[in-house]
Amino acid sequence: MRAIAHRLLRAGFYLVPGILLSLLVARAGASACPEDDREALAWLDKMSRSLNQVSYHGVVTFQRGDDLQAMQISHTVADGLASERLVELTGQGAEVLRIDHPLECIHPGHRLLRLGAELQTDECGLADYYRFRVSDGELVAGRRAVQVLIEPRDMYRFGYLMELDRETGLLLKSQILGRGGKVLEKFQFASLSFTQDGATPAEAQLVHRAQHPHPAPELDTDTVPLGWNVKWLPTGFTLTDLPPGASQRRTYTDGLAVFSVFLEQLSQDIRPGEGVVRTGGTTSYTRGMHLAGRPVLVTVIGEVPLNTARMVADSIVEGH
Amino acid sequence: MSDKMQESLSALLDDEANEMELQRLVSRLGDDPALRQTWVRYNLVRAALSGQHPAHPGLDISARVRESISSTPAGPALGKRLLQPLANLAVAASVTAVVVFGGQQLAGIDSDNYSGQAVAGSVSPVGMVNSLGATSVQASYGTSSLPVLQPTTGTAYQELARQRLQKYMQEHAEHAALNSPSGLVPFARVPTIQE
Repeated sequence: MRAIAHRLLRAGFYLVPGILLSLLVARAGASACPEDDREALAWLDKMSRSLNQVSYHGVVTFQRGDDLQAMQISHTVADGLASERLVELTGQGAEVLRIDHPLECIHPGHRLLRLGAELQTDECGLADYYRFRVSDGELVAGRRAVQVLIEPRDMYRFGYLMELDRETGLLLKSQILGRGGKVLEKFQFASLSFTQDGATPAEAQLVHRAQHPHPAPELDTDTVPLGWNVKWLPTGFTLTDLPPGASQRRTYTDGLAVFSVFLEQLSQDIRPGEGVVRTGGTTSYTRGMHLAGRPVLVTVIGEVPLNTARMVADSIVEGH
Repeated sequence: MSDKMQESLSALLDDEANEMELQRLVSRLGDDPALRQTWVRYNLVRAALSGQHPAHPGLDISARVRESISSTPAGPALGKRLLQPLANLAVAASVTAVVVFGGQQLAGIDSDNYSGQAVAGSVSPVGMVNSLGATSVQASYGTSSLPVLQPTTGTAYQELARQRLQKYMQEHAEHAALNSPSGLVPFARVPTIQE
């Protein structure tokens, strides 16, 4: 469009430019991101980067309906590596560890969030599928917060109400909002301090080392692996890692929401049908169906609405 | 389609529609072809998933639903009223429950007893695409409808979905933790963390 406009201008079409210019201005006006979106995107960018910049420890609560869990979290950044520890203070009392995650290893979800500062003027990044509103937040764990309200532009994802630390950008509190602004789940820091040396970790009943994407497909040796593909995704969702073709899992993210698709080949026929379990912001949708004449069970798990999970399951086809 | 209608339809597709939203949708079925088409598609797939034949291929049942609602001045809740006339139309399919073996395997399908497979095989997509955000549109649908709001095999599949949540939540959390802004917090969603 612009190239054509230039050519026309050079060629000396003096009548046309006025019209073209007004068209261009109208187009630019329509595609530009609202000022507030820029500000919100910059905050999300800062939030993502804060995980690579600050060391902290504190207590976090996680609430889904009547269920309230408490966890101790510590996060250390040193020598180009980030380490993180989560110890459950309620329920199972498990501990999850991620040791020495290289800072330069940026996963797709964070890459989407960090687009903010580097966006071209005609790109809006997450603002293409979310609407934002930035305002002053209240104190969270004694820290001054900025509030970012994030509403989906389509019906394929949930909304969020996030409170970020005004100074560091660290995510202090986050709520997943369903239809009508209903809070589906909420996590927030109850206490937080920005120091290297964490509090004495609570005693854990079980220790799990968080995994890093690994190319190890679990194959059932009795059956020929069935290649499969997801044909439909809501706008903005991208694969989080590249599992091998025969992998039974695919995970997608739009920077804020994440969902995974699992496929199982069944040894016996199955009556087509569907089942749904919803807990907090998580939807678990299981569907029995046939793929290339073979019975399979597809499960979509993630923080997305049921209709999204259903449509993703519908779109699965055989092939690579 | 108005925003309000989109919202109600979206609620229906997420299985979250309340009485008022159902009422709103049904009352508009007559005048809104796009809405009617989605309604037909939705119900067709729900019927297929529940393993029932479409009793009258090609029949747009929404008109009959509306008639029956408007001719019933008072009575049971709309959800029930929607289902009642349909119960007459629905094939009394002898739907045997899916058997769950050892908590993991699904089997026990008697093909003589099972009639919905052909339908379900040829009809897959459910759901609705809206015009605001998405660009890729994927939806195909059949010719008939049979509104069934609750799949008959629901209980067995419900159990299966619950087991799958247990089985897969941790693996999902591993990836969510690497790709969302709250660090390891997604692990809090895992029912029982395994080593």
